[in-house]
Amino acid sequence: MEQEVLVILDEVLSLKGRAATMTGESPLLGAIPELDSMALVAVITTLEERFGFTIADDELDGASFATLGTLSAFVTTKLQSVS
Amino acid sequence: MGQGKRFCLLHEPQNGAARRGAVLFVHPFAEEMNNSRRIAALQARAFADAGWTVLQIDLFGCGDSEGDFGEASWQRWLDDVIEGVGWLRQKTGCSPVLWGLRAGCLLCVQAATAMDAAPQLVLWQPVISGKQHLQQFLRLKIAHQLIDGADEGRTGTQQLLEQLARGEMIEVAGYWISPALALPLEAAELDITNKHVPIAWVEVSGSAGSTLSPASRMRIQNLQDSGRRVEARVVEAPAFWQSPGSGDCPALIEATLSMMRTGSPPQ
Repeated sequence: MEQEVLVILDEVLSLKGRAATMTGESPLLGAIPELDSMALVAVITTLEERFGFTIADDELDGASFATLGTLSAFVTTKLQSVS
Repeated sequence: MGQGKRFCLLHEPQNGAARRGAVLFVHPFAEEMNNSRRIAALQARAFADAGWTVLQIDLFGCGDSEGDFGEASWQRWLDDVIEGVGWLRQKTGCSPVLWGLRAGCLLCVQAATAMDAAPQLVLWQPVISGKQHLQQFLRLKIAHQLIDGADEGRTGTQQLLEQLARGEMIEVAGYWISPALALPLEAAELDITNKHVPIAWVEVSGSAGSTLSPASRMRIQNLQDSGRRVEARVVEAPAFWQSPGSGDCPALIEATLSMMRTGSPPQ
C-alpha cells in the first residue's frame, strides 16, 4: 500500500521520482513544499477516485497525512470499511 | 461588454496564414485559472499560428477584468461567453469553436446549448459534475486548516454548503463566493442538448499510454449512446491547472490542433 500511495503522491505533486526514496516515516504535511492546500485536495480526490471510496470531512485530520506510513494506514483502513 | 469591461487577449494569425476560423477560450474556476494561464496562452498562440483567431476572456470578476470575484455569478459568466461568441463572430465572420478548460467546459456546453449551435466544442480535462467540482473547491477550506494546524472549530464543506443555500456568501482559499455563483455551478453537468456539435475531449495523464478516467469514459459513452459525436484522447502532460510552474505540454497542443475540424471559410 505504501508503494501505491507513493506513486500517487509522486504523480499528483509532480515530484518526478523523488517519492521513490520515501519510507513509512517520511513526513508529508508540512515537509513537502509542493503539498499546499490545492495539492492536498488533489491528493485526497485522487485517492478517492483511484480506490473508489469517499472521504468525509471529519475523517480528514493532520494525523492521517503526517507521514507516508500514516497515510497508507488510513487508506488501508478505508478500503477495509468499503469491502 | 455588458456591465463593465472584460480583459481579453486576442491572438490572430500572422499575415498570410489562411484563416481557418475562430476560437473562444473559457478559463477554469478560481485558482485553476491562474495556474493554467501559461499553457492556455501557448495553445492560443499555436491555434493562431495554424490560422485560427483566438479570443481569451477573463470572465467578470476574474483575472484582470472588472468586478470582484465575490460579485460574480454563473449567469454573468455565461453571458460573457455568449457575448464573446458574438464579438468573435462579428470580427471574423466565423462562428467560433468553444474551447474550455476544466469548469470552463461547463460554461462552453451551456453556451452551445443556449445558442443552439457551435461548430465544435474542445474540452480540456472537462469537469463532468459541477457539484463535485464545487465540493472539491470547498475542501480547500479544510485543507488550509490541516496545513495551518488549526484543526479546532473548523468549518466543514457541509457547513459551507448550508451557508450558500441560506443565501450567504462564503470565503474559501481567499475567494469570496456568492450563492449566485456556487449554486448554478453545483447544478451544472457536462451535457449538451444539440446532437450536432462535435466534441473533442482531451485529458492528460502523467504516464504515457494511460486511458481516460472511469468517470469520463462513462460520460462519453452516455453522450455517444444518445447520438453525440465525441472524439476523446489522453495525452501525456502534467495536470498544469493544479499548480503554477508546470512543465510545457507539447503533446497536448499537438493533439488538440489535430482534433480541430477544418474551419469553414469566413462568410
